[in-house]
Amino acid sequence: MSAGFRFSRAWSIARKEVRHVRRDPFTLATALGLPILLVVFFGYAIDFNVKDIHMIAADRDNTRASREWLKNFTSSRFFKLEPADPGQDPQSALDTEQAKGVIIIEPGFGNDLGAGRPAEVQILLDGADNSTTGIISGYLIGIQQAAWKKISSGPRVQPLSLQTRFLFNQEQNSRWFVVSGLVVVVIGVLSILLTALTVAREWETGSMELLLSTPVRPLEIIFGKLAPYLGLVLVSVVMVYLVARIQFGLPFMGNHLLFLAGILLFLCLCLAQGLLISVITRQQQLAMQLSFISGLLPTLLLSGFIFPIESMPPFFQYLTYILAPRWFMVISRGLFLKGVGLLELAQPLFMLLLLNLIMMGLALKRFKKDLEP
Amino acid sequence: MRKQAWAVEVKELTIRFGDFTAVDNISFAVKPGEIFGFLGANGAGKTTTIRTLCGLLVPTSGSARVAGLDFKSGVQALKSKVGYMSQRFTLYNDLTISENMAFAASLRKLKPGVLQSRTRELFKFVEFDYPVKTLVKNLPGGIKQQLSLAASLLHNPEIVFLDEPTAGVSPVIRNKFWALIRKLARAGKTMFVTTHYLQEAEECNRIALMREGRIIALDTPQRLKTQAFPEPLIEINPEVGGSRQWVEKLKLDPRIGCIQPYGRRYHVLIQNQAGWKKVARTMPKSLKTRPIQPSLEDVFIRLVEGGRT
Repeated sequence: MSAGFRFSRAWSIARKEVRHVRRDPFTLATALGLPILLVVFFGYAIDFNVKDIHMIAADRDNTRASREWLKNFTSSRFFKLEPADPGQDPQSALDTEQAKGVIIIEPGFGNDLGAGRPAEVQILLDGADNSTTGIISGYLIGIQQAAWKKISSGPRVQPLSLQTRFLFNQEQNSRWFVVSGLVVVVIGVLSILLTALTVAREWETGSMELLLSTPVRPLEIIFGKLAPYLGLVLVSVVMVYLVARIQFGLPFMGNHLLFLAGILLFLCLCLAQGLLISVITRQQQLAMQLSFISGLLPTLLLSGFIFPIESMPPFFQYLTYILAPRWFMVISRGLFLKGVGLLELAQPLFMLLLLNLIMMGLALKRFKKDLEP
Repeated sequence: MRKQAWAVEVKELTIRFGDFTAVDNISFAVKPGEIFGFLGANGAGKTTTIRTLCGLLVPTSGSARVAGLDFKSGVQALKSKVGYMSQRFTLYNDLTISENMAFAASLRKLKPGVLQSRTRELFKFVEFDYPVKTLVKNLPGGIKQQLSLAASLLHNPEIVFLDEPTAGVSPVIRNKFWALIRKLARAGKTMFVTTHYLQEAEECNRIALMREGRIIALDTPQRLKTQAFPEPLIEINPEVGGSRQWVEKLKLDPRIGCIQPYGRRYHVLIQNQAGWKKVARTMPKSLKTRPIQPSLEDVFIRLVEGGRT
């Protein structure tokens, strides 16, 4: 039955679909507006870089040594130090959210240091905000080391020193990290949503009856209907890519052809997923909800876009194996920031291919079963 | 007599969806050039039968030959010989008239030249004269139906299936539409029409009455009436009020077969002519009686009621 595929019929469906898109402001606005919205939102509004953290310093020693030690904080751009109110318990600054941390230097700090005794500094951090706390304590180690070198006269070598050097994304720019994952989000959300709507609309308005009463074949409908959206989403991807490179100054260390291969694999998978949703729901409203749940949530939460997969509970870690966004995220970040090659991307590419075959098989089977008498 | 080639020939057709039997073992045949009506309430199985005959559904059991083709020879060939106008409006509202026609034609692989001459011819035929660049959503409902009909005739099908073509259009448009159906039948096309308007059924050469997936009667409208009502039918017209006691009394009378309210009037089925005369003499003058021809509505009620008991 599937023999006799006519390209001309698929082509006329595609042309008709382009007309729909051109005349439907919602589709156009979604396809071109959503990527921009996402880039602005994730690129500008969300910033994981820690800068200008408010700290309160209560220097009760007030010697040269203690002032010298505190200077380490003010000279880094990460902290903004303010002297504590003498009449007030410095800890109250944490309760009132005036500061994220409090540094207390007790009297005798300078003397202890001079005498070679262990000198103590107390640092209180607001544990309620545990993302900043983690970062602050990370910085503190570095500052402590720097301080140690300055204060201790002479090149006293520490018995063990840890030095971390970041290999990729050396500036630890969280925008790079986020924006390099945006391509995944844009494709994941947009392509599923648009396809789910387009086929559901055909059922909802009754025009599917017209298609079915002609000799058109299911495969021709699928190709005709999906091709324009493939093009549309590719345009959005190019938009996001250009914004990432030009506006955010992202590097692209990998091979563009490899990137295109990854994009096409992931895109086809999403289109198939949209088609499956459409066939199951046959209603635009329901299709929209289902595609947000099955498209947006996994891409935002379970792909490693923001939340690292390694720190998820084991169940969710395994769950991400069957989620395409996770694999495409590896490809996208690897190519943007690390410049990995085909060898390193073999596993994610293979997984995408495998998931693609499964999803396409499911969608085609359901669609054909629905259409073919 | 030479064996006639039927336009549609259905034998013991059954269509089930899961546990639900939509069409239950029906058999009928339609002559070429005939206006064949399918009459029945919503859910009687009319649309399911039509969709099957157009190749949109597969029968659970039984056989059907449409335009000389059965399902074994593939539905694709069948689809090029039949035209189908669904009860829902199936053209695209956001495309223009010409875009819609061109799209329908391209799926049927009509050449652009053929499309142009066919469209011109069809629009003249269905008396459609809107500018072809009008968006379909801006057309009035009845005009949309005309356009739908034209679209389903583009490929010059032998058999045209119209599923409730006049649902929701004004009586004027409906009459116009039926004139078109007759015109198409005269041009040699077999017209297969479903409806739940009884007046429309009168226009058909033959009608099949469907109820709960079965055909309960099939004949010309005239013969259906005489078969269902061998006895005369009397209309009682109560000109003043207070007729209820009389009607109640008549209902109990063994000489009266059946009494059905029709608006303010009643249709009375006579079992026994001599007995009725006696009853009529006792009735007050204010109850006017006259013998009438049964309408299809009477037939329908009779057969449906008869089927229930």
